[in-house]
Amino acid sequence: MMKNLYLISFLFGLMLNAEPNKESTLPNLSFKLLDGSKISLDELLQDGPALIDFWATWCAPCKKEMIHLERFQQKYSKDGFKILAISTDTPRSMSKVKSYIRSKKYSFKVALDPNQQIAQKFNATLLPTAILINKNREIVWFHQGYIPGDEVEIEKQILAVLNNETTEDTSE
Amino acid sequence: MKFLLVSISLFSFIFGQVSFTGNVVSSIGESRNGYYFNESLINTQIQFGRFNNWLQFEFSDPPELGREYNGLRKLRLEYLNGPLQIKLGDMYEIWGRGLILNSLDDQTIDRDSGIRGIGIVYETDAFNIHFLSGQSDYSMSTIYSPGYNSRTPNYTTTHNLYGVHTEWQLDSHLGGLTFLQSKEAHPVNTFPEDTLDIKNRLLGAHYIYNNSLIDVYVEYVKNWSTLLNEENDGFTNYLDGRALYGNVNLYFSLFSLNLEYINYRFGTLDPLNRWNNVDNYGIIQHFQNPPISGVIGSTTLINRTSHQTDFNNEVGYKLEILGSIRDDFEYYGFISRSSRSNTWFINNEFEWEKEGQPAILPQTDPAASPYKAYYGEISGYLFDYTLHTQIGYSYSEDMIDLAYYSKTDSSKSMYYTYQSAKTIPLHTSFTFSNGWSIEAKIETQWLKKGIWRFEELNGNIIADSLISEFFDVNENPIGFQQNTFMSISVGKSPNWTMAFTLDKISTTEPSFGLDQKDDSSNSLESLLGLDMDQNWANIEFVYNVTSSFRLSLMYGSLKGGLLCANGVCRIIEPFENGFKMGITAAF
Repeated sequence: MMKNLYLISFLFGLMLNAEPNKESTLPNLSFKLLDGSKISLDELLQDGPALIDFWATWCAPCKKEMIHLERFQQKYSKDGFKILAISTDTPRSMSKVKSYIRSKKYSFKVALDPNQQIAQKFNATLLPTAILINKNREIVWFHQGYIPGDEVEIEKQILAVLNNETTEDTSE
Repeated sequence: MKFLLVSISLFSFIFGQVSFTGNVVSSIGESRNGYYFNESLINTQIQFGRFNNWLQFEFSDPPELGREYNGLRKLRLEYLNGPLQIKLGDMYEIWGRGLILNSLDDQTIDRDSGIRGIGIVYETDAFNIHFLSGQSDYSMSTIYSPGYNSRTPNYTTTHNLYGVHTEWQLDSHLGGLTFLQSKEAHPVNTFPEDTLDIKNRLLGAHYIYNNSLIDVYVEYVKNWSTLLNEENDGFTNYLDGRALYGNVNLYFSLFSLNLEYINYRFGTLDPLNRWNNVDNYGIIQHFQNPPISGVIGSTTLINRTSHQTDFNNEVGYKLEILGSIRDDFEYYGFISRSSRSNTWFINNEFEWEKEGQPAILPQTDPAASPYKAYYGEISGYLFDYTLHTQIGYSYSEDMIDLAYYSKTDSSKSMYYTYQSAKTIPLHTSFTFSNGWSIEAKIETQWLKKGIWRFEELNGNIIADSLISEFFDVNENPIGFQQNTFMSISVGKSPNWTMAFTLDKISTTEPSFGLDQKDDSSNSLESLLGLDMDQNWANIEFVYNVTSSFRLSLMYGSLKGGLLCANGVCRIIEPFENGFKMGITAAF
C-alpha cells in the first residue's frame, strides 16, 4: 500500500509540472477524412495554425464544445486557422458521424480514428481533447475535457497562436 | 526487454530529431466492501525520423479490473515511409467494420484483444493492402470455467494468426477482400484438463459506395473451423458459418436516415450453450467485434439495460433518424429489433432442437429470444447558447434467454428470462457569463425483470405472466422496479467541477454473484437520511491543475451492474462507501 502511495505521490509531483512537450515537432501524420480522402498534417497547417479536436458521437460534452469550434473556424479561417475534428467512434457508431456533421452544417474537416491510433499518438486519453498546433507542427496548447465556458480559454489560445505567428511572419 | 529499452535510448541519441511525449492515467480506490485497486498506466511516444515508438507501462496492485501487472505492458515500433508502414509489437487493428478483425484495448471492461507481431501496410489513394501476423492471448472472466471472479480473468485462449486485407477504389466505389487464419490453443472443461488445437479461418468481401446523398456499406464473411485430429495428425471439419452486415445512409438537407442490418450465423448454439465459449469453439473469436443492431445507451440507466448481442447467431436491424430543426435544435431517434435466426424447443429426447429455416428478419416468437427498442430524443439551446436541454424517451423489451420450451399437439410450456424498461432521461445545463455553470441530469426508469411463464393446454392459455425478481420490504413480489439516477454539478471554467450523484432503486434485488451491500451507509447517505440498501450516493471533485493535468477525487458509493462499452457488456461490482482518486495527464 505504502509503495503504491509513493508511486502516486511521485506521479502527482511529476504531473504538477507537466506540460505537453512544446519543443517537440509532430510527425507529418496522415488523417483519413469522412469522404474517404486523406490530409496530412503539413497540408492542414499550410495556411496557419490548426486545432485538432478528438470527439465521438456519444460524447455529450464534445458536442457542446463543437458548436464553439465551428464558430472559431468561421471567425478565424481568414487568418489561415483551421479545425480538424477527429472522430473516435468505433464501427458500432461510425455510421452516425457523417449524419451528425451534416445535420449541424459544420464546415470544418472531420477525420476518422476508429481504433484510436491517432489519439494515442497525440496522447488524447479523454474526450474531448483539444490540441492547438502551430505552423511548425509544434503543440502549443493541450486541453482535456470540456466544462461549459471553456470556449473562452480556447479562443484566447487561438488568438495567442495567431498573434504569435503574425509576429513571426512580420519579423521574417 | 532491457536490450530493447537500451536500443531505443541509443536510437534516440543517434537521431537528432527526437521528440518524446506521453501520458499518465492513474487511479486508486478503496471501499468498505473490500473493493481495492491501485493502477497506473504510463504511455510514452518517442518519434525519431521515420520511426515511432510506443511503450506502455502498467503498475497495478491490483487494477480495477484484470490481473495485477507491474512492468512494460505494451510496446510497438513503427516505421513510416510514404505509402509504406511497418509495425512491430502490439497492434490494434480494424479491418472493414470489424466482422473479421477489430482488436481493441478497453480498460473500462478489461477487454484486450491486441495482437503482438508484425504488421505491414502499403497504402495509396486508390489501393491499400494490410498484412498481419502475430499472437493474441485473450483473457476473460467467465462462469463456464473454474475460479470465476467478476474482476479477475479466469480463462485464457491463445491464437497464432496471420491475415491479409486489401481494398481498391474506383471513383466512388470501393471493393475489398479479407482473409484471416488463427491456430488456437483452446482449454476445455475436461478431466484431466485438456487444450484443443483448432484452426479458424475467416474470408470476407466488402463493398462501399459514397456520394453526397447516399452511403452504402456491405460486408459478407464466411468462417470455417477445423479441429486437430490427434490420431492422424490432421484437421477435421468442425464447424462453419457466415455473417452479413449492411449499412445504408440517406442524406437529406438537414436530416438523415441510417439503416443497419445484421445477419450473424458464425456458430448457432442451443439456448443452454449460447454464452458458453469455453466448451464451444470455432465460433466468434475475440479479435472479431462486429457492429450491432442495437444502440449502447449513452445515459446511465439506459446503458444498464443494454441488449447483449449474440454475435454467433443474431439477425436484426436498426433504423435511425437524425437531424436539426434549426441551428440550435436537434432530434434523434431509432427503432431496433433483433432475434435469433431460429426458434428452439426441447424435443422428445430432452435435447434442444431448432425449428424451420433461418429467418432473414428478426422474429417476435419468444422461442427466438427477440429484442426490440425504441428511442426518441430532442435537444437544443436557448438564450444564446447558454441554456442546454435534452429530453428523451426509451423503451426496450428483451426476451433474453429461453430456459425451457416443450410442446406437444395439445400443450405448450415455456419459460424465459425477460426484461423491459421505460426510461426518461432529462439533462439540462446553464452557463453563466463569468465561467460558472450548473448541470442537472435526472433519469427515471420503470424496469420489469424476471422469468416469463407461458402455459397452454388444449388451446387454452393457463399462464402468460412475469414472475418478477423484485420484492417489496415485506418480501412480496412486485411488478416493476423504479430506478432514479440524479446528478447535479457545479463548475467553474476552466478549473473545476463538483458533482453530487444519487442512484436509487425502489425495491430490493437479487445480487447474482455480486458482493452484497455492506450494512453501513456512507456519511453522505447518513447525512441525507437515505435507505442504505436502495441508494448509492457519491460526491466527485474534478480539478484541472493545468490544461493537460486533471485530478479527480470521489467519495461515496457507486451502484454496480451491467456496464457496456464498445458493444461489449460486463457485470461490474458495486463500490460501497469508499474513496477513488484519478489522475490523467499528458506530458
